[in-house]
Amino acid sequence: MPFPTSSRRATSLAVAAVWMWAWSGSAPADDHPGLAIYREHCQRCHGAEGVGTAAFPDPLVGERSVHQLAVVIDETMPEDDPTKVTGEAARQVAAYIHEAFYSPVARDRHRPARVALARLTVRQHRQALADLVGSFRGPPPAIDADRGLAGEYFKTRTFNRDKGLVLERTDPTIAFDFGTAGPAPGTIEPKRFAIRWTGAIVPVETGLHEFVIRTEQAARLTVNGGPRGPALIDATVKSGSDTEHRASMFLLGGRAHPLTLEVWKSLQGVDNDEAEKAEPTSIRLLWKQPHGALETVPARVLIPHAAPRVFAAATPFPPDDRSIGYERGTDVSEEWLAATAAAAIATADHVLDDLEKLSGVVADAPDRAARLREFATTFAERAFRRPLTPEQRALVVERPFADAPDPDTGLRRSILAVLGSPRFLFVEAADDDAFATAARLSFGLWDSIPDEPLREAAARDELATAEQLRGHAERMVQDRRTRAKVRDFLFSWLRVDLGPELAKDPARHPEFTPEVAADLRTSLELFLVEAVWSGRDFRGLFTADELPVNGRLAPLYGAPLPADADFTRVRLDDGRRGGLLSHPYLMSVLSYPSSTSPIHRGVFLARGVLGNTLRPPQEAIAPLPAEQHPDLTTRERVALQTSAVACQTCHTLINPLGFALEEFDEIGRYRAAEPGAGGSRPIDASGSYQPRSGSPATFRGGRELAAYVAGSRDAHEAFVQAAFHALVKQPVRAWGDDTLPRLTESFAASGFDIPRLLVDIMMVAAVPPRQRVASAPVPESSP
Amino acid sequence: MTLSGPMARRDLLRRLGVGAGVLPFLGNLPSLAVEAAGPKRRLVIVFSPDGVVKKHFWPAAAGPLVATELPRILAPFAPFTDRLLTVKGVNNVVTGDGDGHMRGMGCLLTGIELFPGNVQGGSDTPAGWASGLSIDQEIRHHLQADPATATRFGSLEFGVLVPNRADTWTRMVYAGPNKPVTPIDDPYQMFAKLYGETKDRESLQSVLDEVREDLARVAAAVPAEDRRILEEHATLVRGLERDLAARRPPLTHAVPVLEQGVIEQNDQMPRLSRMQIELVVSALAADFTRVATLQYTNSVGQPHMTWLGIDEGQHELSHEPNSNEAAQEKLTKINTWYAGEIAWLARRLAETPEPDGSGSLLDHTTILWTNELGEGNSHSRDDIPWVLLGGGLGFTAGRAVEFPGVPHNRFLLTLAHALGHTGLVRFGNPDHCGEGPLTGLA
Repeated sequence: MPFPTSSRRATSLAVAAVWMWAWSGSAPADDHPGLAIYREHCQRCHGAEGVGTAAFPDPLVGERSVHQLAVVIDETMPEDDPTKVTGEAARQVAAYIHEAFYSPVARDRHRPARVALARLTVRQHRQALADLVGSFRGPPPAIDADRGLAGEYFKTRTFNRDKGLVLERTDPTIAFDFGTAGPAPGTIEPKRFAIRWTGAIVPVETGLHEFVIRTEQAARLTVNGGPRGPALIDATVKSGSDTEHRASMFLLGGRAHPLTLEVWKSLQGVDNDEAEKAEPTSIRLLWKQPHGALETVPARVLIPHAAPRVFAAATPFPPDDRSIGYERGTDVSEEWLAATAAAAIATADHVLDDLEKLSGVVADAPDRAARLREFATTFAERAFRRPLTPEQRALVVERPFADAPDPDTGLRRSILAVLGSPRFLFVEAADDDAFATAARLSFGLWDSIPDEPLREAAARDELATAEQLRGHAERMVQDRRTRAKVRDFLFSWLRVDLGPELAKDPARHPEFTPEVAADLRTSLELFLVEAVWSGRDFRGLFTADELPVNGRLAPLYGAPLPADADFTRVRLDDGRRGGLLSHPYLMSVLSYPSSTSPIHRGVFLARGVLGNTLRPPQEAIAPLPAEQHPDLTTRERVALQTSAVACQTCHTLINPLGFALEEFDEIGRYRAAEPGAGGSRPIDASGSYQPRSGSPATFRGGRELAAYVAGSRDAHEAFVQAAFHALVKQPVRAWGDDTLPRLTESFAASGFDIPRLLVDIMMVAAVPPRQRVASAPVPESSP
Repeated sequence: MTLSGPMARRDLLRRLGVGAGVLPFLGNLPSLAVEAAGPKRRLVIVFSPDGVVKKHFWPAAAGPLVATELPRILAPFAPFTDRLLTVKGVNNVVTGDGDGHMRGMGCLLTGIELFPGNVQGGSDTPAGWASGLSIDQEIRHHLQADPATATRFGSLEFGVLVPNRADTWTRMVYAGPNKPVTPIDDPYQMFAKLYGETKDRESLQSVLDEVREDLARVAAAVPAEDRRILEEHATLVRGLERDLAARRPPLTHAVPVLEQGVIEQNDQMPRLSRMQIELVVSALAADFTRVATLQYTNSVGQPHMTWLGIDEGQHELSHEPNSNEAAQEKLTKINTWYAGEIAWLARRLAETPEPDGSGSLLDHTTILWTNELGEGNSHSRDDIPWVLLGGGLGFTAGRAVEFPGVPHNRFLLTLAHALGHTGLVRFGNPDHCGEGPLTGLA
């Protein structure tokens, strides 16, 4: 947050100098040869300086290179007679347009990018509240390879380790059918036993998760509960024929939430083992994640280690603006304010409910009032990411306590004042002391507040040199919170974060069930996690020819796996696949229920992967129904539909990209031919792309396309930009026009190492850019 | 947070009164429809455990009650003799799984068998939860279905020192088969349920000044381009402040002030009881509910009433034979203590005027005192204690009534009919409903 600070500007600028480059760019001269051509052939529709006209109101702006523009103009402009501007004339007018107003740099010149004050995004708000409360609890379990839950098996009906514990082991999943023999014949009498599983669950998604217990016996499930808190599912009384129990809970993706499952094969109440007898006993723990299907909770989300509770604010928030490709907090609304108030109340409830544990202040402590004020002060400092001035302390601690009837109410009010303050709700933008640097690092990598090492480094002013920054960034990038943020970034980059509806024509694909769709999403998830965090690099996202497949997916995609196999990497279709781009989940999402959609795939590639700007179609056009053109392949149908000149400006870019993926059908299976009315027709998967610089590329099929993308400078730059925006949530150009190319170069130099890229981005963004245009005086924070 | 979490928060958002289309703060607003529907009728069911000492509990014979001749245990009701009605000869005849205490408790208000289950008593077969809902919940559904009688909560379940374990002995109220309702025995928790939103609103209002001051300071320190979002924020905060002030509900009663720091433990039982009674009175005065239950301990309850000079647990004493005079004397004192608490509740209701001025709360409220057993040592469920006090049901009071051993399902039906649920023809096990509601009480 841009609060006036004094002495640290000099040191910060020293760091900044390493990362800041001159902002450059010049307007074309009036005698530019392209200007005359523009006035003659273009201006009547596009207006002076490309601002548009009544007939064509869209401003003429985009991301294409001069060369790309020249090709489009040569082939399609002006629309009434595309032969009028061709060849050298097309190149000249393209050069003029590009320099004068079309290109990002030109636009930047007109409206310079700046770092704008922004509120926390919804994700940042939830993560910050979790870490704020969590900072008063123990640390989360370390990331290691252990999976499953720690099981303790008792021969008694209570969990008395001294008298009853007979077996301890780690169970990967909870899906047991003990029959009438019990869990350990010979060791445990089948008529009386009890089992307790403990550990933590690390869900993938943030949201409401439904848990299901299936057992004939008594059971209890606690998820993210406190020691005194109620169980999520309390079926300790077995009653009637109920064998299934359900309840839902809001969890934060990527965080370890404590979990305990207990099951009893015994009677409770009066101890009478004469009345007990061996009975069939099974126990299964299932869940349904957001966008998932009901399944046994898999071992990969369970860890057999204790974890502290996580404060997961379930308060519904209005969604953030993502109109420019990434979530950012640039607007405030009544609904947002109400949500912040409700989240603050939920936080205060949580803190007050567990106050002794969080504050260390017991109920009858003689100095309770004073110590709760100290706790409130620490809480405020962590929320504000910096020490309080006496004035701030008076405002958010002393006054709320002084006005309240008792210290507990004082603490509650202090928490509400802190969480309602702009010092919590708005992110450090242009401030440049060590505390602001710490916050930019933590919000960048974690969407959250600084942790203890960062706080301490800031207090000692040890975030000034590049080495110091890099040391923290490299430490932080290995944290579970970075993994969660990167996971969410990648899903958002692939436009699948909101869980697209994925249903296929049941007549054509009866085997494409909701379970299959959910498994495909998991497969993509696992593929990405491995690509980013297991030593692969960005190119590996495209060139990997193995995909995670499980027993349910195996028959559909031709993998030789047993039906109950967990996800395993399998090389499919004789190496014809190109990693991410032909992943069956993406291929299915980018398809219609009963046919592929080269346009959706092409738009995704052109815009999302290669970083081109596309305008929406000039009019909404329904796809041509296949039945009307039974003799055409999908490719031919799409070419026919987009053959109009008005369409061609964009579809010359879109279609040849999408066509290259035609060998993957609407559920992402490989195909060499496409069925049709007149018999099966071979797939034509030839495609092309004109990059922003360099010669045009051609490729045939997903494998060649992926190899091209993996080495494409356009793709590298688009990914770097997407990553920068996802992390920093400010326009990369605010740090100078050279920042993106330079980061792209260092990305290439590092061998396209994604964690390294995250560190490099934060090395830039940890220091605020020198704002180029101060349209108003900035009284106190100016040097 | 369970499923109720996000929903509850959404409710909170709504009730904070922010934004358009917000529902009024139901239940705190006097309902205009009530006047058209006639006087309110309320029922408060109070449970105490382990049977009674019959010779000191039941009036000697049916007929008018005389204040000076009340049995020892009923003596605290003397000031309300003209509003007192005792009903004898009504038996819990439900059979099936579970021991006497379990069926006594689980079938008391449900009138239906327990499911088979894993809770083993001192005798009989193990059992689970009751297989049907309880009469208070049946009445609640009936009242909530009519806007003229609907209230914010519909019903409230109070407890005093209910053990922190859920089993057939600790649950009396059922929302449906296998759906026991947990009584709230922590007065602070009940207070938060009743008044938490009001407190949240107050707390929020109290800090908005600080928030606005802070916003102004921050806005002064940022570049002009960034001021816009902070100014919008400040405008929204002012709007929230106005909304909160405008939607502050008209309070029909004073919010009760609870003594702070009372811990849930045996020796605090008298204080906990009075705190819960105060909250019952407030909740009725506020018309938060027309139906409440107040459960002292649990079936097989074991309070040690040391404040009466009794060191043994109540359940332990209740197993002593009738020939043990010392135990009988202690049990009589224990039950007289419960009667004293109920008399205090009646007094507080009698002292509290109806918000619309039509008499006192007691004029329109019936307290029903009951027990899972007729007698502790025999575990008999014949002659279940039913003592009615107050004017909520319109019964003819000031007398002792005796029936010739009828199933208690018929008495439960009678309660529903007296509260206007006259369409209810069977309740619990239909085999025990005979000729329907009992006659001769009104």
